[in-house]
Amino acid sequence: MKKIPDKDILIFKSCLISGEYPGVESSTKYLFDKLGVEYVVEDRQSCCTGLGYYYDLFDQYSTTALAARNFAIAREIGHKNIATMCSTCYAILKKSCNILNENDKVRNKINQIFKDSKLDNLIYSPGDMDSEGNIFHVAEVLWSKKAEIKDLPMIDLSELKIATHHACHYFKVHYKEDSIGNKRNPLLLDDLANACGTETIGWYDHKKTTCGAGFRQRYANLDLSLSVTADKLMSLKENDVDTLLHMCPNCQMQFDRYQPVIEKNLNTKFNLAHLNIAQFLALAMGADPYKVVGIQTHTVSPDKVLEKIKQASPVAV
Amino acid sequence: MDIMEFKTIKIGKNNNKLTDSIIKDLKTSKDIGVLKCIQCGMCTSVCPASRHSEYDSREISKRVLEEDESLIYDDIIWNCFYCYTCHSVCPVGNSVSEIIQVLRQKAIINEEFEQIVTFLAFGESLLELGIGSIPIEYYSELIEVIGNDYPEFKNKLDEIREELGLGSLNLPDEDVKDIGNILEKTGFKDRLEKIRAYKKSINSEQ
Repeated sequence: MKKIPDKDILIFKSCLISGEYPGVESSTKYLFDKLGVEYVVEDRQSCCTGLGYYYDLFDQYSTTALAARNFAIAREIGHKNIATMCSTCYAILKKSCNILNENDKVRNKINQIFKDSKLDNLIYSPGDMDSEGNIFHVAEVLWSKKAEIKDLPMIDLSELKIATHHACHYFKVHYKEDSIGNKRNPLLLDDLANACGTETIGWYDHKKTTCGAGFRQRYANLDLSLSVTADKLMSLKENDVDTLLHMCPNCQMQFDRYQPVIEKNLNTKFNLAHLNIAQFLALAMGADPYKVVGIQTHTVSPDKVLEKIKQASPVAV
Repeated sequence: MDIMEFKTIKIGKNNNKLTDSIIKDLKTSKDIGVLKCIQCGMCTSVCPASRHSEYDSREISKRVLEEDESLIYDDIIWNCFYCYTCHSVCPVGNSVSEIIQVLRQKAIINEEFEQIVTFLAFGESLLELGIGSIPIEYYSELIEVIGNDYPEFKNKLDEIREELGLGSLNLPDEDVKDIGNILEKTGFKDRLEKIRAYKKSINSEQ
């Protein structure tokens, strides 16, 4: 099992979290503070290019050059353990890191660009970063703290019917390397829900199916995109699920923003709310739904969770 | 006397131009099993695009093995979701998801911009602010589909971020300039320029 760090962490900002679900970032900070995980967030860090990469706009070379820049910044500020909140950032950074370590031609070309731009501080040497040892998903950092999470006072959310959606770019892209858990039935998020005393339904039909965003498909091919999302929603409905846990803002956006549209199209109701795993854990630990968890940016309000929180006596801190 | 043409393997002669270029492409995994494909159909069986459209992952792999370069210009390649489900289940380490990425890049290198012109705004946002954005062309559609709460929350985003104790959305100017310099030298700015010109040309035709 890989070693997951709890210090020198750069929380890697994501464009969709920043612009759609900023509460995921504040929830992550809240949890890291509670669990004693040492981290920074850095203004100079740029977008990983991931959405542009999968819109086919970005070539690998440009994406890798910007990754090298972000890696240099992480090293410079002494926080070279990157923890991403988005699964596409995770996959993109790992791929770029491997290219920079293994492909001399590409690395030399990128370093030459840095020299020519008088940005010598960004120059990358093989081994400066390690895909397995330095690049993580925030959910993995939380997973490594399961024992500590179990010991914290927690609001009882055990009456909720919870399922998990493990993001494709977390467990399918670098499946041969180091993503945690069973690839046929990913359980990373289920383990985390269990850590705060709640059961999940575990396996369900379409557990591994993509959210349906499909990058370009959500925009250029909306019907195709939503038909895939509907597959998953129908399966969750059959299982009476009321809360779906996420680990990627793109998936969360697909379900949270488009669920009412699919309800209208299919003339049905799903009664299903969407929370990132960090938001869910923060709520269970008593974080403010608006000032920390940021549910005011959600389209589907997580009413059932809020009800439980309201009923619960204040958590002893 | 005419020399007879025998149908034999021509050593040293490259008959695998398309497969070779895919295997060597920077976007594909270094051990991608393109040539090991046994046409088992696992990829198609788990593919969301194959389930809901004419797209067929196994067929894509077959046409690549047949060196069918017309794939590059076939609209069907634009149906892939990049969910990597095919990639994660292939018994021989092939990846139709990565093959499609290379095919689409080939289309773009050949200046086929029709399918990506509407995503131009993401690149422009990255150059301007250092972070990506939702393609502006689809913003009004998003509001139409999602409802008016969406633009309302977007207008209040800075306020909400402040309430949540989060920093600025954009990068410092100096860093945006650095990113621009880097992306100019990687050729990305040139690519965007070409797509912009294409956009202009189709707008003036309408």
